[in-house]
Amino acid sequence: MKSLATALVSAVALTALAACGGGSDSAETSQAVEELGEKEGQVSILAWPGYVEDGTNDPEVDWVTPFEEQTGCQVTSKTYGTSDEALNLAKTGEYDVVAASGDLSLRLIASKEAAAVNTDLVPNYAEVFDFLKNTEWNTVDGVNYGIPHGYGANLLQYNTDVVTEAPTSWSAVFEESELAKYQGKVTAYDSPIYIADAALYLMKHDPDSGITNPYALDQEQLDAAVQLLKTQRKYVGEYWSDYLKLISASETGDTVVGTTWQVIVNSIGKDNIRAVLPEEGSTAWNDTWMLSAQAENPNCGYAWLDYIVSPKANAQATEYFGEAPNSEAACAETTDPKHCETYHAGDEEFSKSLWYWRTPIKECLDGRDVECTDYAQWTAAWTEIKG
Amino acid sequence: MQPTPPVLLRALTKRFGEVVAVDGLDLTVHDGEFFSMLGPSGSGKTTVLRLIAGFERATSGTIELDGQDVTATAAHQRDVSTVFQDYALFPHLSVLDNVAYGLRVRRVPKRSRHEKAREALALMRLEQVAERRPHQLSGGQRQRVALARAIVVQPKVLLLDEPLGALDLKLREQMQVELKQLQRRLGTTFVFVTHDQEEALSLSDRVAVFDQGRIVQIGTPAEIYERPASPYVAQFVGTSNLFDSATSQRLFGIARRHGLRPEKIQLHHERVPDAEIVVEGVIAESIYLGSEIRVHLQLDDGTQLIVLERAGEHTEHRGEKVVASWSRRDLVPLTDEKAS
Amino acid sequence: MSHRVGALLGRYPALRLGLLIAAPLTWLVAVYVVALAALLVTALWQVDSFTGDLERTVSLENLKTVLTGELYRTVTLRTVGVAALVTVIDVLIALPIAFYMAKVATPRRRRILLIAVLTPLWASYLVKAFAWRATLSDGGLLEWLGTPIGLQSPGYGLSAVVMTQAYIWLPYVILPIFAGLERVPDSLLEASGDLGGGPVHTLRWVVLPLLVPAVIAGSIFSFSLTLGDYITVNIVGGTSQMLGNLVFVNAGAANNLPLAATIALIPIVVMLGYLAAVRRTGALDNL
Repeated sequence: MKSLATALVSAVALTALAACGGGSDSAETSQAVEELGEKEGQVSILAWPGYVEDGTNDPEVDWVTPFEEQTGCQVTSKTYGTSDEALNLAKTGEYDVVAASGDLSLRLIASKEAAAVNTDLVPNYAEVFDFLKNTEWNTVDGVNYGIPHGYGANLLQYNTDVVTEAPTSWSAVFEESELAKYQGKVTAYDSPIYIADAALYLMKHDPDSGITNPYALDQEQLDAAVQLLKTQRKYVGEYWSDYLKLISASETGDTVVGTTWQVIVNSIGKDNIRAVLPEEGSTAWNDTWMLSAQAENPNCGYAWLDYIVSPKANAQATEYFGEAPNSEAACAETTDPKHCETYHAGDEEFSKSLWYWRTPIKECLDGRDVECTDYAQWTAAWTEIKG
Repeated sequence: MQPTPPVLLRALTKRFGEVVAVDGLDLTVHDGEFFSMLGPSGSGKTTVLRLIAGFERATSGTIELDGQDVTATAAHQRDVSTVFQDYALFPHLSVLDNVAYGLRVRRVPKRSRHEKAREALALMRLEQVAERRPHQLSGGQRQRVALARAIVVQPKVLLLDEPLGALDLKLREQMQVELKQLQRRLGTTFVFVTHDQEEALSLSDRVAVFDQGRIVQIGTPAEIYERPASPYVAQFVGTSNLFDSATSQRLFGIARRHGLRPEKIQLHHERVPDAEIVVEGVIAESIYLGSEIRVHLQLDDGTQLIVLERAGEHTEHRGEKVVASWSRRDLVPLTDEKAS
Repeated sequence: MSHRVGALLGRYPALRLGLLIAAPLTWLVAVYVVALAALLVTALWQVDSFTGDLERTVSLENLKTVLTGELYRTVTLRTVGVAALVTVIDVLIALPIAFYMAKVATPRRRRILLIAVLTPLWASYLVKAFAWRATLSDGGLLEWLGTPIGLQSPGYGLSAVVMTQAYIWLPYVILPIFAGLERVPDSLLEASGDLGGGPVHTLRWVVLPLLVPAVIAGSIFSFSLTLGDYITVNIVGGTSQMLGNLVFVNAGAANNLPLAATIALIPIVVMLGYLAAVRRTGALDNL
């Protein structure tokens, strides 16, 4: 109702608005709280699917209930399919805590949606791998905005019934000779950020492109990636951003090869649906638990931050999603003793070989002295690719 | 050899569920005659017309048109045209296109079909409304457009379903004359459905009187009127005094049902010796109708008689004692209805 | 005082009418006109692509993008094409069904058919779209039915969108045509047959011309509803985009509300053009 009233006023005052420029009126400094108050009894969380499991999807998978019992904070949660969607949801101010990938966290900080986090109030933060702390996607100007959760790579999923020879390269979805075999049964992630996957492939296979960071593309490099994706589109059956859609399409056989997450393959739980990390490496995510600047339940929010990075909960969540946990201690808690080995948890070198999602900006992330394409251009390019 | 009749119905029956609308009908319509089917609503006359046109399928029996069995033939393949009670003019077409419709579906070229349509309209004195839409016409004009549309295709038989029912009295009388003239001019066989006995009598060469899905009498108007075969016909066609056999025995000594037309009775103030049948009574009511006076007479034995007199001949008053007389040949012996 | 007010109202019926419709009229203005105006105004704003903040400065940049961008032209043509195809298919299917219901079926069968036509309207739009997704899928019903006669499921894509939309909006096309046919007196059909017009002639020269307004009324439903759809495309459309998707992506994922508002103006303009074109036929009196 409030927004309707705003809209009414805005419409009536159209002429006045023309003169008055836009701008943020926030003089708020990013000052983290010094101490915690009384818990509010509830907390609302915005996260990727598989991050906040309370047993409704699978009775065996539940780390929310213990939290509620320990803290008395009732959890409500919402999942999202793309970082862009999450940004919009976060802006509504309805969520106290947000799990953000690297392409979202900085945007949240820049739009003043994220609150500074006092890591002293998160005891379990001490356990977290050092190389995950104070990274460029969770810390700005020395102020920390979040707690590292876990990280993992976008994988290549294939159906062994159709893709009889296990693929080892992303060429399965980028080379026409390969694509032609799976006409109309290829899938890809439906977000502008997927352009980085094409850029990474070019980076590895076409040195002349001069790409050194898939998130730092000048206009020419973006055009090359777009061209590659336009070729791919001819063979794509459908794009996915809702992970449930990929699950159903994989089960019916409408999709046989394409980008996936480990959690999707785990959910399908069939022998013939497999995932592999191709030799080129992959784009990836490195997620951060952030506190909303508009949080109505900051104390329960802090309680969640501390709980979800605790070894036990972090092990459950990251193992379920299929990504590397954030600490040695968590690695000790996984049900699969080889989990951390599989996902190279704590292996700093491996972590550096993954290209974590970042938000492309005009100032090239790789430090080149040219103008790079920003996320708005990527968005426009993505709609153009889809045509 | 007899000439082939344009319409020949044999044992024609039509049932709607439990209801028998037409019950084993046999009928021959002669070439070029104006044939009327007369009866109250629900007597089956309209159903017979719709069966001939092909809008309904006969339950049993056969329909022959011009010697050909068309019982199973669709309406559009029968060489008959219908003038509908509600005229059924196409609202989206001009008067000219309405009239030309039958020629259009016969693939007559535009010029010649418009020419013929204009001729038909001229025959109906409607040239001046050719470009109008049906809803811009008066009731009488629509009626004539419907006629023009039906005759332009030169059908063997023209079927008319109470075409004058919706018109007011004056217009109706005028249209009756036009219909009669048209039929004479075209020489087309007309099959005319009406519940108006006067209309049927004045227009037709022959009349069939319907009752409950059957024809109860068929004949010329004069035969129907003068010699009704049953009390039903006697009463439905014109007004009749009906005497059951006991009354007949008492009044003139024949033990049989009889009918007597009111205009055949004369009234006198005193006894007339030369009349064949004479009765006495008291005037119960005397109603002035302009050209006639209708007198209700109460006989001494209680029988009621209706008498029609020319106005101005006599003046009788209520309560007056009078003598009524008629001749023996005016009595119509009637078959007992139950027996028929 | 109240007496004088009453007298005043009695003397000026227009004033009475004005007071009576004032409340609903205000609501109408608030909901429809203002919402549309807000859309127009939003279309003139910009958004900061990094922070996602609205910049409330008036510029025609979005309009320029949409008018000159090839993408928008392609998608507009595709959307209008799909909407037109859906409408044509629906009208072709609706005509015989409506004809049978209005002119052939017994009253009992007509009631049953009417219920059969209306029943799908009670099911959720999403359920129907997902049912089609399953039907069209690899190894789905359509493939199972088609394989013996050498036909393939079209899979997900534009043809799937056309099929699904045609299915979903069919009742909205059948009902006005059925209502229009019921208003055509049987005697007109009999008169045509009586004058020698076979079924084809009767359909072509009598029934169809009389049904034009009803067909247009039905087509307005299927056309406008398809024009704005984005859910069906998402579910069975494969990689295809329609205008609704561009609006959804820009308003939702890309967080560019001004651009979304600008794109949303396209179907509005198309629809206004369509309505203006059919206004003359009198079809709007049938809505």
